[in-house]
Amino acid sequence: MAEQTTVTDRAQIPRFTAKGVWRGCVEIAPIAVFIIPFGIAFGVAASAKGIAPEVSILMSIAIYAGASQFALLDLWYAPLPLATLALTVLAVNARHILLGAALAPWLLQIPIKGRLAALIGLSDGSFAYAMSARERGEVDAGILFGSGIAMWLIWIASTAVGALAGSFLGDLTRFGFDAVMVTYFAAVVVGQWKGAKDLYPWLAAAAVAVIGTYVLPPGWHIIAGALAGGIVGTWRHG
Amino acid sequence: MVDTVAAVAAVLLLTLVTMATRVGGVWMMSYVKITPRIEAFLKYMAVSVLISIVVPTTLAAAPRIWMAVAAAALVAAVTHSALSAMLVGAAVAAVVKNLGM
Repeated sequence: MAEQTTVTDRAQIPRFTAKGVWRGCVEIAPIAVFIIPFGIAFGVAASAKGIAPEVSILMSIAIYAGASQFALLDLWYAPLPLATLALTVLAVNARHILLGAALAPWLLQIPIKGRLAALIGLSDGSFAYAMSARERGEVDAGILFGSGIAMWLIWIASTAVGALAGSFLGDLTRFGFDAVMVTYFAAVVVGQWKGAKDLYPWLAAAAVAVIGTYVLPPGWHIIAGALAGGIVGTWRHG
Repeated sequence: MVDTVAAVAAVLLLTLVTMATRVGGVWMMSYVKITPRIEAFLKYMAVSVLISIVVPTTLAAAPRIWMAVAAAALVAAVTHSALSAMLVGAAVAAVVKNLGM
């Protein structure tokens, strides 16, 4: 792809620079503040599950993918079900593969180090920002890394606030925090509804997941439901 | 309780999985084209994971969680804001709890 580029104006060649990183950091800020309540909610929900603040903060530092972090809370018991955890996190985060694929025509024109840096902090928020910047003619993939860093720092700080507050607040059900994860996921699901074509894949996922809770080992109903929805969706619309 | 060493090891494993999804899309695109079939599968699978968590969790929970989820779904449908929906849902759960249900 890169060798086909015959751009006359050198300014239009995709690149990765420190200036771009800084620009991404600054421009994402107004969007990034909206993750603060989610970070706090994650920290509090984790401490409601009895997870130590240093562990939930480590999750936000290392995994840095909100929906999957909420999802793993349900599976966090001793002994840790590693295979189920890994598959659930894989399924929740599989959408990153699509985001990456959408960015590929741009990022494949950039040397490998810049490409990896741009991807390491990829999130829905930084993707949406970078794609709209790209449409306005942005060529510097540093903005992806910069916006990722800014959101990452805010995510870690807000998780820490929630995790530490949670261990002081006592019974969190008084504040409705036991409803945070399930209401957040329900809202995201409702927001994804694109019309009647989604009905059968969604029903398949729900039905298989509910039946799975009775007939499968703990946690596997999530994998089974995810596959059922994916297969019915592909079969009807692929 | 999950011991700290096991927890840290699990977090590292999940970090590797998540990183693989972040770099996987661009890596795959340097070899193959993501067909509409693959795209449809990934999209439906992503939302189906959430459905598979929400539906059984809600059914197994107390009526106050049913009310919270219904309120959140309604707010999300009207406002398209997951944040407002979550806040309203948690508020409903808190109010019903404090009313002693």
